[in-house]
Amino acid sequence: MFNKNTMATFFILIIPIVIIVIGVDLINIRLLNRLAIILCINMILVLGLQSFMGNSGILSFAHIGFMGVGAYTSALLAMPLRMKSMALPDLYLMLKTIEISPYLAIFIGGLVAALLAATISYPLMRLSDAAAVITSFALLVVLHTVMVHWSAVTNGPRTLFGIKAITDIYLAGGVAIVMLFLTLLYKESRYGLLLRAVRDDQVAASAIGANLSKLRWIGFIISAFMAGIAGGIWAHFITSFSPNAFYLKETFVILGMLVIGGTTTVTGAVIGTIAVSVVFDGLRAIENMINMAQMFPKPIVGMTEVVLAIAMIATLILRPGGITGSLEVGCWPSIKKRLYHR
Amino acid sequence: MKNKMLSATGLCVDFFGLRALDNVSLTISKGEIVGLIGPNGSGKTTFVNALTGQVAVSAGQVTCNGQNITGLPPHKVAYHGIARSFQIVRLFDELTISENIELGAIAQGVSRKTAKDRANELMIKFDLQSYSDQLAHTLNYGDKRRVEISRALASQPNFLLLDEPAAGMNEAESDTLLEILNQLPQDYDLGILIIDHDMSLIMRLCTRLHVIDSGKTIGEGDVETVRRLPKVIEAYLGSSADSEEKDA
Repeated sequence: MFNKNTMATFFILIIPIVIIVIGVDLINIRLLNRLAIILCINMILVLGLQSFMGNSGILSFAHIGFMGVGAYTSALLAMPLRMKSMALPDLYLMLKTIEISPYLAIFIGGLVAALLAATISYPLMRLSDAAAVITSFALLVVLHTVMVHWSAVTNGPRTLFGIKAITDIYLAGGVAIVMLFLTLLYKESRYGLLLRAVRDDQVAASAIGANLSKLRWIGFIISAFMAGIAGGIWAHFITSFSPNAFYLKETFVILGMLVIGGTTTVTGAVIGTIAVSVVFDGLRAIENMINMAQMFPKPIVGMTEVVLAIAMIATLILRPGGITGSLEVGCWPSIKKRLYHR
Repeated sequence: MKNKMLSATGLCVDFFGLRALDNVSLTISKGEIVGLIGPNGSGKTTFVNALTGQVAVSAGQVTCNGQNITGLPPHKVAYHGIARSFQIVRLFDELTISENIELGAIAQGVSRKTAKDRANELMIKFDLQSYSDQLAHTLNYGDKRRVEISRALASQPNFLLLDEPAAGMNEAESDTLLEILNQLPQDYDLGILIIDHDMSLIMRLCTRLHVIDSGKTIGEGDVETVRRLPKVIEAYLGSSADSEEKDA
């Protein structure tokens, strides 16, 4: 299924995930556990974004919108019936009587996100460059607006509560590993390879028979599926949320992780997520300490976001390919051969 | 099928009211190499782009083995067994040479293994094996040209359209290319349309020539006939003959 290099990439990349999962479980500090779960969920999101963005070369802002779709779908399907009548009194009768296993609900959340992506995105896939980016942003706004106003299902802009807490570090980490496998599988599949050809040269790719709208569409659906799954796992971890969780702030964090790690590689997605999470959480802890010690007359706010923004700008200027460049970690031993063979 | 041919009939292309191609008709049969020549800006590349669906045709018809393929998008044209190379090499820069060539086959729906086999065979033929794992953007221009032609051949086309395949090659490289191209119609059972400025290359390769100037056909036929047509001498060969005399 995989060639030697891809296999090596997969096994090297699961090492940090396994270390995080087992390490956190052994140390057993609640805060650390929480941060590690968020890290794994973010990794699923970043891997999903990489599947589309890395292979197609098109920046998508809509990703977090599909996370929201997955979150609301799985929350609704798995919510205990008596909670439902309290949290969502106006819910449609059919949904009011359904209560399924949260694990199944998370999976269905992914499917619904994928189905929604499949239905609405095909016409957008013909667009390239700036037009594609702007449309994806518009799509995020549409998804957000629907979530804010569809009160019967989402409780509107208010917080939806009463969701079962089932996510632990093993679920989040396990799904992250499965998604890592899926992302690599897709990248190396014929559809992934053809999409990368379209990314490198649209004209040449269509001349050899690549249908670019269809190839991008497949990538977009896979990416939305992964975002939906991440949304479900997150919903069953956080247990109460509002539509604002799926908007610009989260989009920026996920995008920052991928850009800093390296957009074109799965290695970049994994390393970027870990690096940014560690720095982000570290900064937040420092910020909290400074504020608690009242070192300055006014509390410091937003240090994490500003640092992430600066890191993103610096990456784009100094190392546009991200930390990892354009090669997967499994290919690093042969890097010399690839570049300087002659 | 008895008469496998790619033919354009009365092809016209307009760019914002400017007629770039005016009523050009040309037929390529399997097994032959046809040369398309003409001065710079005469519409040669536009003609190839019109055949492959890269530019919209405003009048006329393109048929492949009897099927009308006029106005089809490029990826559908490719399914009819028409492959091409570009005037300025277009490779998939972030992919390896092997992947570039395999893609020619993969895009046609063949299995990964078959694609790999075809790519290996072509890399041997075009002396590219040693670059197989290198990224495409690391190659020099002449090597890139050979990769592009290999990628086109990997789809096992019925017709191959080559837009200045020898551009950017030194004499030795272009001689090697000529030998390979000469063998292709027999080896792969295909018809070739070739655009080039290198008249000696064209003369040595082609069985038939088609000459266009300002988007119009000004001569066609076998090499010897075309060479003697006054219009052609005036528009193309003549001017180069003049300059050669002056140089001498």
